[in-house]
Amino acid sequence: MKYSIKIALSMVVLSLIFACSKSDDTDYFALDENLEVSIPANFPEMQYDISRNPPTKNGFELGKKLFYDGKLSSNGFISCGFCHEQRFAFTHHGHQFSHGIDDLEGIRNAPAVQNMAFQSQFSWDGGTSHLDLFPIIPITNEVEMGETISNVLKKLQADSEYQRLFASAFEDGSVNNENFFKALSQFMVMMISSNSKYDKYVRNEPGGEFLELEEEGLRVFEAKCASCHKTDLFTDSAFRNNGLPPYPGINDLGRTEVSGSTTDHYKFKVPSLRNVAVTAPYMHDGRFGSLASVLNFYNSGVQDSETLDPILKQNGRLGIALSTKEQEALIAFLQTLTDSEFLNDERFAEY
Amino acid sequence: MTTLKRFQYLILATGLTLTSCSSDDDATQNLTGENNLTIEFDNSVNGDDLLLDSSTYTNSNSEVLTINRFNYIVSNFVLIDTEGNEFTYPKDDSYFIISEEADLSEVTLTNIPAGDYVAVRFGLGVDQEKYLQGAEGQGDLLQLAEETDMMWSWLAGYKFLNFEGSFTSPTVTEATDFKIHMGSHGSSLDNYKELTLELPTNALVSSNLSPIVHLAVDANQILDGNTKILLSEKAVVMVDEVKSPQIATNAAAMFRVDHVHNGENLEH
Repeated sequence: MKYSIKIALSMVVLSLIFACSKSDDTDYFALDENLEVSIPANFPEMQYDISRNPPTKNGFELGKKLFYDGKLSSNGFISCGFCHEQRFAFTHHGHQFSHGIDDLEGIRNAPAVQNMAFQSQFSWDGGTSHLDLFPIIPITNEVEMGETISNVLKKLQADSEYQRLFASAFEDGSVNNENFFKALSQFMVMMISSNSKYDKYVRNEPGGEFLELEEEGLRVFEAKCASCHKTDLFTDSAFRNNGLPPYPGINDLGRTEVSGSTTDHYKFKVPSLRNVAVTAPYMHDGRFGSLASVLNFYNSGVQDSETLDPILKQNGRLGIALSTKEQEALIAFLQTLTDSEFLNDERFAEY
Repeated sequence: MTTLKRFQYLILATGLTLTSCSSDDDATQNLTGENNLTIEFDNSVNGDDLLLDSSTYTNSNSEVLTINRFNYIVSNFVLIDTEGNEFTYPKDDSYFIISEEADLSEVTLTNIPAGDYVAVRFGLGVDQEKYLQGAEGQGDLLQLAEETDMMWSWLAGYKFLNFEGSFTSPTVTEATDFKIHMGSHGSSLDNYKELTLELPTNALVSSNLSPIVHLAVDANQILDGNTKILLSEKAVVMVDEVKSPQIATNAAAMFRVDHVHNGENLEH
């Protein structure tokens, strides 16, 4: 009798212990849920196949932690977020070129991270066509994060917090490259900027009332800019030479680095103009400090070359004729593309 | 009758049925079950053994090469039997890196259905479909590629061929490094190539037959193949709209089946 009571007691204790740890786990897993990815009414089709990697709460949170973790770099300090700051639409404000480990400097300006799920070419030269694989480029670049994927995974595998987060976010739960890239993509897929004044204007929503100057700017934009800065993503995802004179001392051939084709000399991906008012400096090499300088360039600074985009060489004139008035209107319009909801969205914030 | 005895009878009966079945059929259908099929990639240079950092090799372009790296990716294996039926090896498991320096020279295809195989088809490199699978499709290949210097970092992808060393020529008399890195150029140029090799002897696979297909791989073809690639003209070829596809075509012709070993539990 005494004996069986002991057994019964210890069983109760044991089951309590198990119940505790079990309910902890199940609670955690139960918390994971699919996140809704809503496609803005004025956007083109999504390019990313979310059926292969549907964003979940835990996957997104893991992706966010990775995005802001210096462990992804060789010296432990340079995270993705180091060069991609939310306030500036995830660009590196005040930095012409991307900065990396050991104070090394790249040759290109960090592009914005927004609406990535709607794009099919990544980085200025289109080094990859898949968002999942894109992080390989900055992580392994010697002057950016200077790390290897294998080493990043070793560091994450040794970290109990990451073991737990990977297990809670993915069915097979292992800390491997597939889940690593999937988590980063889930975070980036959710980073949709679609609530600027302009968006509200085209969707006839409250807060979308344009001033006269902004409306004038939109008309100029449609007439003179929208052939490349197409759709409400404001890019046609094409690679074009816009006639920037090559940067002294840096002969960045752009798309040629990927294609090997001389016909691609100095071609770079047409960037989106969303949040453009906060993403200075401008151009692939960040040479222009203001939108006014960019417009001056298109008006009078375009340089001819064999690969100059034909659009910028029409009727015997280089560039795009823009009067002072038109430039003023354009800048007013470009400012309507600022989406402060996105720039301040706590879901994407580091802290 | 006890359960155990019943079980023994069942085994006996099954054994008898299996034996009687196969004895009625012809030789090919005798092959039942599944087994491994191994493909050995034996690297050479124009008939000579490929030795890293030691031998010199002279090609018909009058260039003398010392080779210190010869790595490539083979993929998407398909086995074709006497009837023309194709067995496609599961895509996710069908990517392999062959590396002279890392001593990776064998591809072991497992769980191959019994058969009388007359040809093998495979790819040199990584197809676009695989790239577009994103994270899900890459598996361990990504890390293995990184470890064997087959990751093409700035293209977030793979080098299909990494052939490096130094050379001299009548015009380049000082030993000069060469690097041939060939892969697909983002979305602009697909350099993945598939090739089919007929087997001089059929490869027989069954529950007790696991053949080895011995390939002779001629690295000389890369520069001295169908299109002559002169290192003296360009010693570092990575992304080149003209030369890279030529190198891809040349390299796809470097594989030849030397012989096939058929037998039981073969070890090469």
